[in-house]
Amino acid sequence: MAEQAIEVTNLTFEYPDTEEPVLKDISFSIDYGEILGIIGPTGAGKSTLAMCVNGLVPQVINGEMEGDIKVKGMNVHESNVAAMSEHVGFVFQEPENQLSQMTIEEEIAFGMGNLGVPREEMLGRIKDALSQVSLEGFEERSPLALSGGQQQRLAIAAVLAMRPTIMIMDEPTSMLDPKGKNEVYDVLKNLKAYGMTGIIIDHEVERIAAYCDKVLVLDGGEVQMFGTTEEVFTKIDRLHELTLHAPQVTEFLSQYNQQFDGKLDLATTVKKAVEVYESANK
Amino acid sequence: MNSLYMPKDSLIHSLDPRTKMIFVAFVVASSFIMNDPALQLLLLVALFPLVVIAKLVKPYLISIQFLLLFAVLIMTVHGIYNPIGVTPVFEIFGGLTFKYESMVYASVMSFRILVIGTGAVLFVMTTHPSDMASALVKWKVPHSFAFILLSTFQIIPIIAREAKIVMEAQQARCLDVKGNIIQRVKNLVPMFAPLFIITFMKVHQLSYVLECRAFSRKGNKTSLRETNIGSLDYSFLLGMLAVLVFEIYLKLFMMGSLQLTTDALLTYSLIGTWVVCGFMLIKFLFKRVQGKVGGVN
Repeated sequence: MAEQAIEVTNLTFEYPDTEEPVLKDISFSIDYGEILGIIGPTGAGKSTLAMCVNGLVPQVINGEMEGDIKVKGMNVHESNVAAMSEHVGFVFQEPENQLSQMTIEEEIAFGMGNLGVPREEMLGRIKDALSQVSLEGFEERSPLALSGGQQQRLAIAAVLAMRPTIMIMDEPTSMLDPKGKNEVYDVLKNLKAYGMTGIIIDHEVERIAAYCDKVLVLDGGEVQMFGTTEEVFTKIDRLHELTLHAPQVTEFLSQYNQQFDGKLDLATTVKKAVEVYESANK
Repeated sequence: MNSLYMPKDSLIHSLDPRTKMIFVAFVVASSFIMNDPALQLLLLVALFPLVVIAKLVKPYLISIQFLLLFAVLIMTVHGIYNPIGVTPVFEIFGGLTFKYESMVYASVMSFRILVIGTGAVLFVMTTHPSDMASALVKWKVPHSFAFILLSTFQIIPIIAREAKIVMEAQQARCLDVKGNIIQRVKNLVPMFAPLFIITFMKVHQLSYVLECRAFSRKGNKTSLRETNIGSLDYSFLLGMLAVLVFEIYLKLFMMGSLQLTTDALLTYSLIGTWVVCGFMLIKFLFKRVQGKVGGVN
């Protein structure tokens, strides 16, 4: 098998203060350039899984871990978080907690400074990162003076400037209003254009369906479903069993099929659903 | 911006933070070398042109007011009650006598506060905290220490905001924050316990974030802010050295023959601080009255 961007095999993890493992025998892999969406109820172990990929678990957050995680062919175990951060960027849930510097440009320069990027290159990268998240012209402001959506985009920019090839976002939009969410997902779309590999954890199935290539459903620490977006979201009954739901258009088509004995194909995006629906009513 | 830094375009601002740190050390050292009221007053006056060059006269005067309050208290209380005094200088109402030795002692102490305060204000107001941090790193101060210094500026406003949220939440749960003083002190516990926990959690998460930004990575680190020691810094350092040498010379060889401190100087400086302080008090009272009367503008 060719080298995958992220390869997780038989991962089991247990926190010191719990009786049951939070992650049980998890295996999945994603290729370069793919974006994986992880969904699941609260407490399913989504964040823990994400933090395993860049080594925060178990190196900083202690616990017992079994199994293998390979990122770009490197074993995460044998590396440390600081070294991994060159390859894997991580965006956390709370925008405010991720900011530590006095101005926006310093915030972005902070990670690069730690990597030893020379100053001349920094200036260029800051410009790039700010334009990727469309925050140009804010360089001299204090991060605390930004809105939540802007802060989260700044946090993303700070990670982008470190030029990782893999980007992990742990519920980056849950603290934001709809406009802020759109802003963050627009950035995600840009990442795809840049050919970056991504993992995003979110509860918004609509957006996951629109932006992700693969979906992993996690519940009770186990992988319940894993496959392409189409594969996962068209198995509506299984999703309902897990108290999750598919995008509303998919739900609509499935409901339509049930009530009118239709034989429509289930689609996960609005555009496709419209096409399916149109062809059915001709 | 939560620091006291005042962005201005001046010679002092363009100095390297390291030079300015040495300058603060120099001011502290000279205030101890010259433990004579007259010489310290001279030092204080000599520092003032630097404040003017830094274009910080107004903010400087505002911040030095508070130090002056200390000076007045020390000079008055020590001048009258310090037991080392023997020679009476002058008497004020009620038979309280200011004595020469204790006045010298008090003036040295309070002028020292003013001198060091001036040096510190000059440093803090002309140096961007990030510049200071990167300068410290150049001095081989551990990176994490520089980060701690810097992050205080960031974390204090966040804590202040959290404190407000906690207070409002506890008020919504019928915590009386407007009761008598004992009640209020008791209520500090339900205010501060959650605040501490929140702060710890925030800092904990920040540590993960830092880890993800390669903070603990070994090897060379770079900084966005460039600080360089130029010819200006060297001339400034040389100037300081010259003054320091002169001070030591003065201290070692001239003290016997040089007697600048007189009764009149002590008395005038005491009365001077009183007058300035009285003026501040009147201004303060005037503002309060204006606030009470209200709406007059």
